[in-house]
Amino acid sequence: MSAIFKMELMNNAQDRGLYFWTFLLPIIFMVLFISIFSSGTMADQKDEVILSIVPGYTVMFVFFIMISMCFSFNKDKNNGMIARLASTPLPSSSYLIGKWLSFMIIVMIQILVLFIFGKVVYNIPLEQPFFLSLLSIILTISITGMGLALSLIVRTQNMGIAITQVVTFGGAIIGGLWVPLELMPNNIQKIGKLTPQFWAHDAFMQSMTGTLSFTSFLASSLILLGFGGIGFLIAWVSYPNFLKRAKN
Amino acid sequence: MLSIKHLRKSYGATNALKNISIDFNEGSCFGLIGPNGAGKSTLMKILVGIIERDEGIIKSKHTKKEIGYVPQELCLEENVSALQNLLFFGKLYHLKGTALKKRAEEVLDSVGLTERKKDKVKTFSGGMKRRLNIGCALMNNPRLIIMDEPTVGIDPQSRQFILKMVEQMKKENRTIIYSTHYIEEAEKVCDEVAFIDKGEIVQQDSIEDLLRNHAIPSIYFKLQEPYEKQLDIHTFGDVEAYKNGYMLSTKNPMLTMENMLQISKEKKVIFEHFELMQPRLEDVFFKITGTELRA
Repeated sequence: MSAIFKMELMNNAQDRGLYFWTFLLPIIFMVLFISIFSSGTMADQKDEVILSIVPGYTVMFVFFIMISMCFSFNKDKNNGMIARLASTPLPSSSYLIGKWLSFMIIVMIQILVLFIFGKVVYNIPLEQPFFLSLLSIILTISITGMGLALSLIVRTQNMGIAITQVVTFGGAIIGGLWVPLELMPNNIQKIGKLTPQFWAHDAFMQSMTGTLSFTSFLASSLILLGFGGIGFLIAWVSYPNFLKRAKN
Repeated sequence: MLSIKHLRKSYGATNALKNISIDFNEGSCFGLIGPNGAGKSTLMKILVGIIERDEGIIKSKHTKKEIGYVPQELCLEENVSALQNLLFFGKLYHLKGTALKKRAEEVLDSVGLTERKKDKVKTFSGGMKRRLNIGCALMNNPRLIIMDEPTVGIDPQSRQFILKMVEQMKKENRTIIYSTHYIEEAEKVCDEVAFIDKGEIVQQDSIEDLLRNHAIPSIYFKLQEPYEKQLDIHTFGDVEAYKNGYMLSTKNPMLTMENMLQISKEKKVIFEHFELMQPRLEDVFFKITGTELRA
């Protein structure tokens, strides 16, 4: 498992596209939209914009890891690597766990970098670092769980890109990452609360300002873990079929 | 030490393997020869344990740890170095530390990539990638090596290098199962071959015996132009037109050649070309299966 984990990390470290999607593009979006939404506003309004946009775009862009996951699993499937690995003593579960852990690390680094950027450039508050850290880990588990499910289900990389974009942008819009949920129609607000993006964003904002209660933390965490859990369940059910397709 | 009996595998309505039985001899190279889609890769994947058989018995003393599998595809990580690829595969066989590094250096040497070990695989030529692909399968120092078309799409120099590697493996008393549709490769490195076509073993024997029992030598000849019109060509026997000349198959080539020379003397005709053609395994394959290997 550690061999798979390290090889995946090495591979991703060589992927310039991943750096762009993971770090550069979210930073560009943050800077751009903070400057747009805060121009001509008072200082406290600007702080509110920053408080929403930094965690909002962090949550939005971590979803793009699902594309990298789809690419990675599909590449292994198509170039015969999975079949070859099956000829070695490596258990098939180790392959899955090794790959998953490497993407966990990437997402955690991504969240860390984006929050450090927010702190250094916009001096965002980080009042409840313990909750923030736990939420980051839980969000990572949730997204990589969903990514795992998607990677094992889709037949082509393009299918993975399309679904990820629908989930990412759709969730971002109705989950209140772009426009505060309060400003949206009631029906949209109700739907928005069904998205993992809303719960992650809301919990991040509250823990940044130090207003996240343990109950709220627990609720957000359980909902996020629920999404991740469904992802893992789908992945677990789909994995034998994925392996079968890859080996033949 | 490795034998398969009555092996069957189907994909839906397609019978990929139909009642395959083979005994593989230890320390020898066994060739699986057949056109694309004959079932070679399916058989190899079953032998390595990648896919399950539907029916049949496999008796083997080798565990996965003792088998090296060279797939037809280039299963390499292109963004990392040759050395890192080998270390990766070594770790999958639980090699660690100094033993792992030592084995990787040995394998790099045997596949002739020591000089390029730190270069990324994506900068390699097709032949170098093929050699590394084989190297990855040697990391566990396997006693049984299963090679699925290891020379597909490479230059003649790299092909020769790989065939020499196979010869070396034979000298090290490793058992090799080698699939190919390049029959001349099998003639060079294999001790015994099986012709596989449409999922069935249609013939299995040593190359020597296959040639002896199934190949008929031929005499290729061409008459000088003015004489060709003067003589009924069938005076020489049951000839067939072949490459601007004629081909005459015979079980007794020496006697036939003597007769032909005698006839030419009597009829006063002169040969432009007169040659005894050695029988080829490819002809045997065609004779038995009625299929061209590289059709």
